[in-house]
Amino acid sequence: MSTATMAASRAPGERMDRFVYDDAIVRWFLLATLVWGLVGMLVGLVIALQLTNPIFNLQVPWLSFGRLRPLHTNAVIFAFAGNAIFTGVYYSTQRLLRARMWSDLLSRLHFWGWQAIIVAAALTLPFGISQSKEYAELEWPIDVAIALVWVVFAVNLFGTIARRRERHLYVAIWFYIATVVAIAVLHIFNNLVVVAGPFKSYSIYAGVQDAFMQWWYGHNAVAFFLTTPFLGMMYYFMPKAADRPVFSYRLSILHFWTLVFIYIWAGPHHLHYTALPAWASTLGMLFSVMLWMPSWGGMVNGLLTLRGAWHKVTEDPVLKFFVVAVTFYGMSTFEGPLLSIKSVNALSHYTDWTIAHVHGGALGWVGFMVFGMVYWLLPRLFQTELWSRRLAEVHFWIATIGILLYIVAIYAAGLTQGLMWRAFDETGRLAYPDFVETTVRLIPMYWVRVLGGSLYVAGLVLCGVNTVMTWRRRPAQYAETVHEAPALDPTYVPEAAPGGFKRAAWHRRWEGLPLTFSVWVGVAVVTASLFEIIPMFLVGSNVPTIQAVHPYTPLELAGRDLYVAEGCNNCHSQMIRPIRAETMRYGEYSKPGEFVYDHPFLWGSRRIGPDLARVGGKYPDLWHVRHMEDPRSTTPQSIMPAYPWLARARINWTAVERGVAAQAALGVPYTRDEVTGAATLGRRQAQQIAAAVAQQGGPAGLEDTQLVALIAYLQRLGTDIKRTPRTAGLSGAEGAGR
Amino acid sequence: MKLGDVMSAMHMSLFAQIALIIAVAGFALVVVSIFLARNREPFRRASLLPLADDAPAGTPGDRA
Repeated sequence: MSTATMAASRAPGERMDRFVYDDAIVRWFLLATLVWGLVGMLVGLVIALQLTNPIFNLQVPWLSFGRLRPLHTNAVIFAFAGNAIFTGVYYSTQRLLRARMWSDLLSRLHFWGWQAIIVAAALTLPFGISQSKEYAELEWPIDVAIALVWVVFAVNLFGTIARRRERHLYVAIWFYIATVVAIAVLHIFNNLVVVAGPFKSYSIYAGVQDAFMQWWYGHNAVAFFLTTPFLGMMYYFMPKAADRPVFSYRLSILHFWTLVFIYIWAGPHHLHYTALPAWASTLGMLFSVMLWMPSWGGMVNGLLTLRGAWHKVTEDPVLKFFVVAVTFYGMSTFEGPLLSIKSVNALSHYTDWTIAHVHGGALGWVGFMVFGMVYWLLPRLFQTELWSRRLAEVHFWIATIGILLYIVAIYAAGLTQGLMWRAFDETGRLAYPDFVETTVRLIPMYWVRVLGGSLYVAGLVLCGVNTVMTWRRRPAQYAETVHEAPALDPTYVPEAAPGGFKRAAWHRRWEGLPLTFSVWVGVAVVTASLFEIIPMFLVGSNVPTIQAVHPYTPLELAGRDLYVAEGCNNCHSQMIRPIRAETMRYGEYSKPGEFVYDHPFLWGSRRIGPDLARVGGKYPDLWHVRHMEDPRSTTPQSIMPAYPWLARARINWTAVERGVAAQAALGVPYTRDEVTGAATLGRRQAQQIAAAVAQQGGPAGLEDTQLVALIAYLQRLGTDIKRTPRTAGLSGAEGAGR
Repeated sequence: MKLGDVMSAMHMSLFAQIALIIAVAGFALVVVSIFLARNREPFRRASLLPLADDAPAGTPGDRA
C-alpha cells in the first residue's frame, strides 16, 4: 500500500490524529449499485413488455406480472437506490466528519447483510412469498434481517459521528440522521405482524387502519429513503462538482426542518375518497400542499449552487446529471402536492398518472443523482481518469431521452385512463362500460414506455462499461492518503448562545450535539405520526361496524392468501370510491366497516384491471375457472396473465389451519371449532364449489386445488353488505354466503 | 372512561387544527430564527465544509 500524507496546520498545543478513510467499502457499494440497478430495471422492462402482451411471461408462474412487479419496485428502491445511498453516505460522512467509519467490521456486515437481504427478496417475491403491502412486501424473516442490518448501519454511523474531528455537523449529515431515525420507525411499525408460518404472516392492523399505516409508511419511504438521503448527497456532491459552496446554508436549515416535520403527515393523500376517514385524508392533503415550500426551497438551493459555474455544465457530464436530477426533483415535488389535491386525485388515482409521477422521481431525481455521483466518484475511488467522458455524455443524453419517452407516454396513458373511466354518453350512461376498452387504448403508449425504458437501461449499461474500464485502469495498489486533524476537545461545553434566539445560535449548538439533534429529529417524526395514528386507532366513528360483515371462511382465507401470493392487488383495487362513475361501473361504494377482518387490507393502488370489491356473485364459478385458465377466453382483449397452474396446485391445508389460528390470535372472531376444524370446513366448501363447476359444464376433480380457494375468495368479495347479519358459526356454504 | 371514549367525543377537526398550528408555528420559528440571524460568517464557514474535506484540517468550521 502506498501512502501520501495530507499535511495539517497545527494550532499550538493541539493533539493531531492520523487516519485513513475506508474507500474500499465505498467501491463495493458503488459496484453493487450498478449491478442491482441493472437487475431491477431489467425486471421493470420485462413487466413493461408484459403489459403490452402477457405472452412475455411465458406462462411461467414466477415470471407473472403480479409476482415480478414487487421485485422490480423493491430492487430499484432498496437495491439500486439503497446501495447508492450507502455509497454516498460512506464516502461523504468520513470526509465531512474527518474520521474513518467507526468499525470496518460493521461496514462489511452492513454491506454483506444488505446484499443478502436483496438476494432473499429476489428468491422469495417471484415465488409468491409476500405480505402484499407496497414496498413492504418482504416477509417477516427478511424484515427482521432488515431491522438488524439497519441497526448495524446506525451504530456505525453514530459511532463515526461520536468520534468525529469536525465539531460542526454539515447539513448532509442531518439528512443522513433523519433517514436512519425515520426509516427505523417506519419499518418497525408498518411491519408488525402475527406469524403464521416460516414465510407467512398477517398484519396486526386491519382494513382502514392497516391502509393508513401502510401509506404512512409508503409515502415516508419515498420521503426518507428516496428523498432525504439523496438531498444529503446533493448538498455534498453538488458543491464538490461545481467547486462552489451551497447557495444558502440558512435555506438548507429551513429545507431540512420543514421537510422532516411536514413530510410525515402526508401519507393519507394516497387514500383520498377511500374508506379512510375524511379528516385524515384532508390532513394529508393539507400537509402535502405545504410540502411545496421546503421542496422548492431545496431545489432552488441546489440549482443556485451552480451560480457562476453554469458554463461548466456544458462540459461536465457530472454536472449535467446533477442539474437534470435537481430539475426532476422540482418537477416531482410540484406534481406530488398537485396529485394530493382531492379533486385532482379523483382523476389521477388508480391510473398510470401515478406511475409516470413516480418514474419521473425515480429515473430523473434518484437515478440521475446516482449517475452524477458515480461519475464523480469513479476517478477518485479507482485513482485514475474516467475511461470515457464521451461515453458518460452519451449516457446522459440517451437516459434523458429515455425518461422523456417513458413519462410522456405514461402521462398520456394515465390521463386517457382517468378520462375514459369517468366519461358518460349523452344518455347518462358510462361511455366505456367495458373496462377492457380502456386497457386496449393504452397499449401503443405502453410500447413507447418499453422504448423509453430500454434507452434508460442502455444508458445504465454504458455506465457499467465505463465503470469496468475505469476499474481496469486502476493502479496495482491504491494509494491511501493519510489525513491529519486535531481531535475534538472532550471537555468542550457548548457556549451560551451569543445573541440569543435571534442569532440562530440555538441551531448552531444543536449542530454540534448529534445526540440532541437526533432526538429532535425523532421527536418531529414521532409527534407528527402520533397526531394521525392515535385518533385513527382510538376514535370509534372512524370505522362504523356493519353487523352483516363476518370473518372469511377457511377456504376463503386460503384464497385470499393466494390472491396476495399472486400479487393480484398489483393490478386490481378493492375499493370503490363514492364517485358516480365508479358506483355505476362497480356498484355501491366501499364502507370502512367492510374491512374489519382484512389482515392485511387489499385496496390496491392501481387499476390495470377492473376493481374487484363487488365481484362476488357477479359471474358463475365456471366463468372464473375459464378466466384463470385463459383470460382471453372470457375477455378477448384482456392483458391479464393466465394462471393455469392454479388448477393443478394443491391447497396446503396445514397452512390453512395455521392461518385461521393466526387470524384468531389477531382478534378475528373465529370459534374454537372453526379454528380446530379449519381444514374440514375448508374441504367441505371446496367440494361444493368443485361440484358447482362440474355441474356448470366445467372440469371435474378441482377439489383441493388452489383455483377453488381463489374462486371462493372472489365470490365472497363485496357480498357481506347484501346479507343479513351472521347469527351462527361458519359452516361451509353458509359461511361462503351461498 | 377510556382514552378512546374521550377522543371519540372530541370534534375531529380539532386534531387537524392543532396539527396545523404546530406546523405553522414551527415553520415560522425556523424562518424567523434563520433569516433574522446576523451571524453570516459561521454559516458561510459551515457551507465550505465539503470543499475543504480533503484539505488540511483546521480551515473551516469551529472546532473546540
